[in-house]
Amino acid sequence: MGIQNEYLNDLMERVIRRDPAEPEFHQAVREVLTTLAPVVNARPELITEGIMDYLVEPERTIKFRVPWEDDQGKIHVNRGYRIQFNSAIGPYKGGLRFHPSVNEGIIKFLGFEQTFKNSLTGLPIGGGKGGSDFDPKGKSDAEVMRFCQSFMNELFKYIGPDTDVPAGDIGVGAREIGYLFGQYKRLRNEFTGVLTGKGLTYGGSLARKEATGYGLCYFTDNMLKSAGRSFDGATVVISGAGNVATYACEKATSLGAKVVAMCDSNGYVYDPEGIDLALMKQVKEVERQRIRVYAERRPGAQYHEGCSGIWQVPCDIALPCATQNELNLDSAKALIKNGCFAVAEGANMPCTPEAVDAFQEAGILFAPAKAANAGGVAVSALEMSQNSMRFFWSFEEVDDRLKTIMTDLYHNASNAAAQYGMEGNLVAGANIAGFLKVANSMLAYGVV
Amino acid sequence: MNEYAVRVAAQLRQRYANEPEYLQSVQAWLEMVEPALDDPRYEKLDLLTRMVEPERMFTFLVPWVDDKGVAHTNHGYRVQFSSAIGPYKGGLRFHPDVTPSVVKFLGFEQTYKNALTGLPIGGAAGGADFDPKGKSNREIMRFCQSFMNALYRYIGADTDVPAGDIGVGAREIGYLYGQYKRISGQAESSALTGKGLTYGGSKVRQEAAGFGTIYFLARMLEHQGDTMVGKKIAASGFGNMTWGVCRKAAELGGKVVTLSGPDGYVYDPDGVCTQEKFDFMLEMRASGQDKVAPYARKFGVEFFPGKKPWEVQADVVIPCATQNELDVEDAIQILANDVRYYVEAANMPATAEALKLLRLSPKILTAGAKASGSGGVAVSALEMAQNSIRYNWTRKEVDDRLRDIMSSIYDASAAAAEEYGLGYDLIAGNDIAAFKKISEAMIAQGL
Repeated sequence: MGIQNEYLNDLMERVIRRDPAEPEFHQAVREVLTTLAPVVNARPELITEGIMDYLVEPERTIKFRVPWEDDQGKIHVNRGYRIQFNSAIGPYKGGLRFHPSVNEGIIKFLGFEQTFKNSLTGLPIGGGKGGSDFDPKGKSDAEVMRFCQSFMNELFKYIGPDTDVPAGDIGVGAREIGYLFGQYKRLRNEFTGVLTGKGLTYGGSLARKEATGYGLCYFTDNMLKSAGRSFDGATVVISGAGNVATYACEKATSLGAKVVAMCDSNGYVYDPEGIDLALMKQVKEVERQRIRVYAERRPGAQYHEGCSGIWQVPCDIALPCATQNELNLDSAKALIKNGCFAVAEGANMPCTPEAVDAFQEAGILFAPAKAANAGGVAVSALEMSQNSMRFFWSFEEVDDRLKTIMTDLYHNASNAAAQYGMEGNLVAGANIAGFLKVANSMLAYGVV
Repeated sequence: MNEYAVRVAAQLRQRYANEPEYLQSVQAWLEMVEPALDDPRYEKLDLLTRMVEPERMFTFLVPWVDDKGVAHTNHGYRVQFSSAIGPYKGGLRFHPDVTPSVVKFLGFEQTYKNALTGLPIGGAAGGADFDPKGKSNREIMRFCQSFMNALYRYIGADTDVPAGDIGVGAREIGYLYGQYKRISGQAESSALTGKGLTYGGSKVRQEAAGFGTIYFLARMLEHQGDTMVGKKIAASGFGNMTWGVCRKAAELGGKVVTLSGPDGYVYDPDGVCTQEKFDFMLEMRASGQDKVAPYARKFGVEFFPGKKPWEVQADVVIPCATQNELDVEDAIQILANDVRYYVEAANMPATAEALKLLRLSPKILTAGAKASGSGGVAVSALEMAQNSIRYNWTRKEVDDRLRDIMSSIYDASAAAAEEYGLGYDLIAGNDIAAFKKISEAMIAQGL
């Protein structure tokens, strides 16, 4: 299916001509423009006022040299990026990625997606993304620190709590955020919420670890209720055993579901009595063992090598929370055959496009990652709020707000889909709802 | 003693040989946190040196003209001690005794006091060797303006937020803020705390220190399966802090039976528990006479000239007046009287020896100023929060938050003492918990 609008087709071609070497960005733009065609057809001012053209061009791109010295005294030069994609609804906000694969096209694609995802949370955050082709793997703490400091020596000129608020992403975790924050504070002599993902001792938020998993369940719960179903008494399969999977398991269980399977990258466990989360946390979080150890200690649980088999386990609700493209068409067919009635993505893009099509054709409730796993970025925004007010919320207060955000987010996506004649299609609904808030704000600003 | 800590202390003594107050407070702190120092990262990152020395220090001249047209020059200081967990935050002291050593000592203590409030505030202190006593309002104003002309470039809501201390009260904060606003051209109200209610101050600030101490005491009583009801409290002083202690104690069913001043103390067996008595304390303070004897005349109770209140039989002792007001003899007397709780409200009210005696005695439970005396700074931080959200909380909202903060300081202190095998030593527990929090934040943020 192409883009059902002549102007958008032409725009797509211009995007490719202008930056021919950015295939990831082209792909993301094509997907978004395709789902937006019905909206643009209904509202021609989006074209005449230039909104669609603005949308595919970052407001600003900053590229810089990042020199650093390794432990042997050898000098290295990496390249750093910050793309300030869209500030229509708030300061630029999005992660930093340190990975050898990073280039301008990838950062641009991520910043583009982040704009819509952030908009969907309903919070005042624009879209941005950045990073470097630096590989933190195999580097010492001291090397990572020197790299982060050098990176920040340039980046600090462009960011700030009212301007641009970076966070972590691949290769940028608590350690890197700490070093980046320390250097920013030193250069500016200001202690502000300029970065999110900070440690709890220096401005981080409670419930960040739980955010994506809990948020996923809150979103799914709303989706189920609207179809007259619920977690209560349902059998659930969750792939993964990281933060997202663990806390999705915790929340689903507390909502009355029985989680019968989880996996790591080696294989999965099937526990017909329901996963014992305390034991799972002990194995994965405390002892950092493989998930096989869980089955060894839990009577009645079975371990199976390989991960894809987890989708053969009969269930009512499937929550893929492990990694991209982990759930393909065959897995989707198995789920459908076994009577699964809802799938919600906790990981980023865990279902292949064919799998998504299969779910939608079978009439299964499907929650796309862009909406369902927005809990993480939502709590990032709540971290900004807390920093701005120089006060911290309790775990319950953050959790309550997260719940409200995910509920609103579900209704926004669901209503947007219905409004444009695609009732129940949350993939389109999420794209449209995220887009509309950004587009309407840009219309208000005029040609700037 | 930990070898690295010994080396750091020795270097400090060599480098700052002429700064006795600063060296004394660092030495005492190192001894208190010693059980928590066995982590090899600390030495590798030279963390202790960075924890006991300020990040930055400013010294500036403060010239001003008195009412007769004569020029004077004082010395102003601001020590930005630690920004590990928030913008620098701490008081300004105007007193002839202010020296770099005193300011550094205050900034150091403030850092570890602020840490456990759970609010995002680092540590700082500042001031000048200016004596506000006997100066006219105009002279005070001119001094404050000159002081701020130098200070403004180093402070700000996200950078460094000064407050009051000895010699810097509501009047001085008003003049300082007025000048800051004028120079910076911004009504950046959270650049200073302790402001008046009409221009950004917080409710409950006057009572904060005293209320905080009583909330802390309430948790200690609860731990012993006891309550405030019927408790006899011997307190010193009759200023803001004592006033807050009397009111909150009365509200929770206890009674403060002594007040003191430089002239002696009064003993009121019925307790300072009525609105009339609370108001009279304010009257005595406002009179500027610095005497407590009028209370005895007004309410027909006994006055003990030249004596300290520590000789009174009580369940609880709360020193609220000033540093080193309680010495070894007093401590021995307190123990002999079978007092069960010693809870500090003032800063460093006991001499080192007296505190040691009380802290190590199994007969009495003790809480140090850094924990039970942090109600004041907690409400300062709540003032910053209210300024940041551009909204004022009600009296109840501030008071409830203060109670929660004092409760969490208590919990953190008790938990750390337990974790390091120190039983119920809340003083050591408090220092260790604050040390852990700041060291963790510093390690995370790199060199």
